[in-house]
Amino acid sequence: MTALPAFEDHDRQQTRYTTCYMCACRCGIKVTVENNQVRFIQGNRNHPVNKGVLCAKGNAGIMKQQSPARLRYPMRRKPGSERGSGEFEPISWDEALDQLTERLARIRATDPKKLAFFTGRDQMQALTGLWAAQFGTINWAAHGGFCSVNMAAAGLYTMGHAFWEFGDPDWERTKYFMLWGVAEDHASNPIKAGIDTLKRRGAKFVSINPVRTGYQAVADEWVPIRPGTDGLLALSMVHVLLRHDRFDWDYLVRYTNAPWLVVDTPGQKGHGLILRDRDGNPLAWDLELGDMVDASLPEILPALFGDYTAPDGRPVRTVMSLLAERYLDDAYAPENIAPRCGVPAEQIERLALEMAHVAFREAIEIECEWTDAYGRTHDRFVGRPVSMHAMRGISAHSNGFQTCRAIHLLQILLGTIDVPGGHLSKPPYPRHIPPGIKPARDMAPNTPLKSPPLGFPTGPEDLVIDAGGNPLRLDKAYSWDAPLANHGLMHMVITNAVKGDPYPIDTLMLYMANMSWNSTMNTAQVMGMLREKGEDGEYRIPFLVVSDAFHAEIVNFADLVLPDTTYLERHDTISMLDRPISEPHAAADSIRQPVLEPDRDVRPWQEVLVELAGRLGFPAFTTGDGARRYASYQDFIVNFQKEPGIGFLAGWRGAQGQNSLRGDPNPNQWQEYADHQCFFVHHLEDSQKYYRFCNRDYLELARHAGWVGSTDPIVLELYSETQQRFKLAGQGLYDGPMPKRPEHKARLVNHFDPLPIWYAPLEQGRVDLEAYPFHAITQRPMFMYHSWDSQNAWLRQICAQNFLYMNRGRATSMGIADQSWVWVESHHGRIRVQVKLMEGVEPDTVWTWNALGKQSGAWGLARDADESRKGFLLNHLISELLPQRGDGLDNVTNSDPITGQAAWYDLRVRITPAKPGEVGAWPQFEPVRPLPGMPDSPDQVRYQTHRRVNLRRSLWDVLTRGKGRA
Amino acid sequence: MRLGLVIDLDTCVGCHACAVACKQWNTSGTTGPLTDESPYGAAPSGVWFNRVRHYEVGDYPHTKTVNMPLSCMHCDDAACVTVCPTGASYKRGEDGIVLVDQDKCMGCSLCAWACPYGARELDPRDGVMKKCTLCIDRIYDDALAPEDRQPACVITCPAHARHFGDFDDPDSAVSRLSRERGGRKLMPELGYEPTNTYLPPRSAPAVPTADVRRGSLMSSVKDWVNKAIAR
Amino acid sequence: MHPALSVILFTVLSGAGYGLFSLVTLLHLTGLYPAPGPTELMTQLGLALALITFGLFSSTLHLHNPKNAWRAVMRVRTSWLSREAVCALSFYPFALIYLWQIPRAGVEVGPLMVVVGGMALFLALLTVFTTGMIYASLKTIRQWNTALTPANYLLLGLALGATALAAVHAGFGGRSEGLVLLALGLVLLAGVMKGLYYLWIREVTGPSLNTATGFTQARVRLLDQGHTAGTFLTREFGFDPGARRIFRVRLGVFGFGFLLPLLLMGMVLAGGSSLWLALALVSALAGIGLERWLFFAEARHGVMLYHGQRT
Repeated sequence: MTALPAFEDHDRQQTRYTTCYMCACRCGIKVTVENNQVRFIQGNRNHPVNKGVLCAKGNAGIMKQQSPARLRYPMRRKPGSERGSGEFEPISWDEALDQLTERLARIRATDPKKLAFFTGRDQMQALTGLWAAQFGTINWAAHGGFCSVNMAAAGLYTMGHAFWEFGDPDWERTKYFMLWGVAEDHASNPIKAGIDTLKRRGAKFVSINPVRTGYQAVADEWVPIRPGTDGLLALSMVHVLLRHDRFDWDYLVRYTNAPWLVVDTPGQKGHGLILRDRDGNPLAWDLELGDMVDASLPEILPALFGDYTAPDGRPVRTVMSLLAERYLDDAYAPENIAPRCGVPAEQIERLALEMAHVAFREAIEIECEWTDAYGRTHDRFVGRPVSMHAMRGISAHSNGFQTCRAIHLLQILLGTIDVPGGHLSKPPYPRHIPPGIKPARDMAPNTPLKSPPLGFPTGPEDLVIDAGGNPLRLDKAYSWDAPLANHGLMHMVITNAVKGDPYPIDTLMLYMANMSWNSTMNTAQVMGMLREKGEDGEYRIPFLVVSDAFHAEIVNFADLVLPDTTYLERHDTISMLDRPISEPHAAADSIRQPVLEPDRDVRPWQEVLVELAGRLGFPAFTTGDGARRYASYQDFIVNFQKEPGIGFLAGWRGAQGQNSLRGDPNPNQWQEYADHQCFFVHHLEDSQKYYRFCNRDYLELARHAGWVGSTDPIVLELYSETQQRFKLAGQGLYDGPMPKRPEHKARLVNHFDPLPIWYAPLEQGRVDLEAYPFHAITQRPMFMYHSWDSQNAWLRQICAQNFLYMNRGRATSMGIADQSWVWVESHHGRIRVQVKLMEGVEPDTVWTWNALGKQSGAWGLARDADESRKGFLLNHLISELLPQRGDGLDNVTNSDPITGQAAWYDLRVRITPAKPGEVGAWPQFEPVRPLPGMPDSPDQVRYQTHRRVNLRRSLWDVLTRGKGRA
Repeated sequence: MRLGLVIDLDTCVGCHACAVACKQWNTSGTTGPLTDESPYGAAPSGVWFNRVRHYEVGDYPHTKTVNMPLSCMHCDDAACVTVCPTGASYKRGEDGIVLVDQDKCMGCSLCAWACPYGARELDPRDGVMKKCTLCIDRIYDDALAPEDRQPACVITCPAHARHFGDFDDPDSAVSRLSRERGGRKLMPELGYEPTNTYLPPRSAPAVPTADVRRGSLMSSVKDWVNKAIAR
Repeated sequence: MHPALSVILFTVLSGAGYGLFSLVTLLHLTGLYPAPGPTELMTQLGLALALITFGLFSSTLHLHNPKNAWRAVMRVRTSWLSREAVCALSFYPFALIYLWQIPRAGVEVGPLMVVVGGMALFLALLTVFTTGMIYASLKTIRQWNTALTPANYLLLGLALGATALAAVHAGFGGRSEGLVLLALGLVLLAGVMKGLYYLWIREVTGPSLNTATGFTQARVRLLDQGHTAGTFLTREFGFDPGARRIFRVRLGVFGFGFLLPLLLMGMVLAGGSSLWLALALVSALAGIGLERWLFFAEARHGVMLYHGQRT
């Protein structure tokens, strides 16, 4: 063997650990740097999230760092130029922050709600939310309202955790995995690894999705469902389970509110609420006593089924009786829902029974002594190895909340929540149902809010509305339009601010949110709104501040641009207070640390926020005498305490770093994280790993760590009293705030329900379905999802143009050929796009990759880049308001009526072939002008961190063909 | 030794991680840089050693999407090496890796013409042919941790659908997987004896339902009789 | 396959040159050359060498790293391209000595001329054969992977050479029915072989997307090739002129490459002006140029199966 040369000069290379930020997965990465350039980014094998692997995006971090679209210094719109004309001038950070401080101080001293602060793909909502609360504005939220709030809300209002960030399938043990509506989105690497883990063991993987790409490609069974009908499918499977008497009786009695008694007095106040004793405890019927008992007591023998009479004479029924009666109804029989879902009845029944078989005939037991919340010791964990995961295809419909609840209902009936082989929560979850934070309502000048801007209402009295029932928040979250809008409605902010409905604002601050392009509905008109002026000649949104690392489309509309760093140039925390990186059996958080020095005059946004907080004198950021409390973001992270001993980072607390989860600030905390590959993990004891909603050891740990407020067991809510309170308000039967407008009443009555229901997506009730026969949805390309900033030079080679995918048979019957151009029209607009035909898509559905289309000139791309000339956005077809019918709902958000989740996937379209010669994407927009001082994008990239080292060979080797095998 | 890859089509979700990891490692590797033309313009196109293609097998609704990463197969009888006139393309005797000597290639492209798998791409700027090196600059680098001495595509694969090893060793993971899962070679009829092996999708596990079907179905709430189960 | 102009020029012109050189040498050595004069012979051979040299020079234009072109002689053991290079280079000394001998020895054939002429003749034909074998040895391209490919290369080279030979001879005022008949015969034979070739490639053989992917039980279709713009592979192998264009070019191949030259030669044989032979040569060169374009343009590389091409 010829000796190989030293290919790498390791002495000239440095290795640092940090956390990826190419999407929201937050994988641990190990970055090798050479000559102050990134040689290689690889997954960190020890990291709890990715365990060494890394996706396409993470592997393309170098090209993000190289992007010519990186903003270089603060800029302001050139005085006298029109907004959106793209005329900017560079200014210094001092100038920028002085100007912003002055403006914000004035707003804060007069009417704090005039500042609206909304953030996009960021992962620092604990900090931005705290900042907004300290400022005193309730007009703050992140992008969850247009992303996945339906999943979070349905989970938190049903089982105290949720899919994705708050819970995971038990990949190691599950034997049957059902994946609902995952459009190649969250989570990225964990799902891929999980699918491998379960398939290796021979577990069955069923995918419910109108499109067979990505994860669905490797499913053992693909169920091509019609968009928006998943809830029906889930409830039909519930029907099958009930018909065959296959549900986990013990589990329902012990851990859910299935035996609770519900007042059954239709048409009267109090109907549908839980029967409670004087102390507010729920009541159940004890079979031994033959009487009502406190349903939260252990050792009682509650009746699961039955009709009884309350001491006050009112008829009551168990939750389970209500539930069984509802879903046994023929309306939910597979043969009756099959035509609507497009899934054959036999298949629905078989899938339900397959799950029943696995749950009840292949149950697993883990021998382990554990103590329940009542102090009783058990010798084993019983597991029902059926697990599920669901995401955007469920979430992005206006029936998504109820659909997600229906899926959780299915999981709970099978006894699969937080049991071995089932769906496991991830610390700090589970929480009590719902978490005990109420959204802030009251504001006063120069005064912090009393609670966070976002929280969890349990009844109409918690809404953020005024005495007249009008919304107090700019986005109308927590109003009658969207009572449980736990993540706000970022997609309504610009429209509402420009209309002055409910009121005009002064300043809009956007961070990492491309609200004039792919992150907004109705893109073309929203661009117009940003330019719109009132009669006084002032812009309807007088001042727009944008912070972003890259030249996004929204930057073009900014009055003030504050350039952010890239993820390789900053400190960050991925905090337990926010969206940590925990795994089911480990609490974990992490940090980012800079691996490169910025070569531009940029500052991380969190540093800017801490600076502004000090300048504006926020109480939490200043000392008693008004001096700045924190010198920097790092200082803030170390020393800020939410409650004694609890801060942003849970690891290495205490003066010596001796404490985990709770402890005094540790001045060396950042260094400890850096020394430990930038993450902290607290592993749960075996006895704390399952049934955590009722696991004493776990709940005590959770209380110690500040994850829950009490060690009371968390009772899973098959029946949601919160839902019923809103329904009663709609019916005029509630003791508390009630809506006055008929459309609000109707929405509450029709869409809120204590037991999961299905209703057709709202757009379908307001457009002519025959005129718009197709469902149009988007999927997230795995190689770009959440990484569409910077138009990465490597990733865009995989896909620089999106197509509209159609079912081949269907398209052919319409005379539409592969790669031809077509017009796609909705009730709201039309676009021209190029078609690709495929087999693996439900015939009534068309789809495309999300956010591939770009405005010409943005992102450092050439004006004729494929993304702008051939790529397109579906957003133009989607209205942020419901389809106009000339009724009271015309001005209501195109969102889930419960949570305000943007209903992207409700879209209906018609498709017609374009005329000969009609090619190229339409509409086209005026190209974005280059920013001053930005470098020209190169025509060629030849990235390398050192010159290549060649292998040495003998002449004989050159003359022969190589010896083949030695 | 006969080093190569096993690619598991049962779990490959087509995420392109392997392709980009390859690009990332090799652009600074022994045959780097991998030139990208028009990186920010129309029709961006660069040199890649590994590309993921996507296919559909069967007609709707009985269709299966198959994601297929394609890179050099390091053929036993490598036609690309046979046809190379300069001796730049060669197959290493000690491990079977097929390489292009960047200093000796004249850029005639004949090797690419001889390769049915599309494994070779000409770098327009350097004027030489480039291809998968099986990360020879990783797998023999003693300074790397043993588990890192694998091709970049293998260590990064989120679905663990890629495996690296010695096919001459019957006990290696790649040999075992290939044997147990019925590994396939692509275009075997050409006789190039590719080393890389593709594992076909596993057949769907059967889940019985007869044991949970009831003869008499529940039709009303009244059909249930309460059980005495202590909370 | 992408039809590169450099390769078309190379194969057509050098093929014609080798054909011309070998025919002239053969006739000269065997004494069958009609009324040979040194000037005419030198013109014939000089023209042949010019065509060969121009063709070889042209071939280097398709190299992306020509500074390593000298290395092409390294792998004669396995590479037909290397063998071609060695043959082409080896041809020159013999050809040049032969050419050098003509003014010295006159048209008389001495032993030295027999040896070097024989070697040049052999190496000329061998070079054309190796050129054909470069393509014929590629199993990835079913249209080329046949013995018909080197047969075509040889016959087309000889046919062009014979046409040139007759034309140049006529240019020197000679009028030889034999040379015209030779050209006519070779053009006819080459045309028949080309026709056979076109018939032969109609049958689709070799790998399919099924064998390419390993899924042989159902129809396999491309969903996405993994990149939206072109790559080296699609630029090199993705050329597809379409069936109609192929048909039209084939008409041109037969019309200009074979029928018109045959007609013109027939006219000359029937007593027409010998100048028609020049037109026959021009027509044949154009027709074979089209043939060579088509040789590449209608060749389907197996890798295109992975890109969704069906055959």
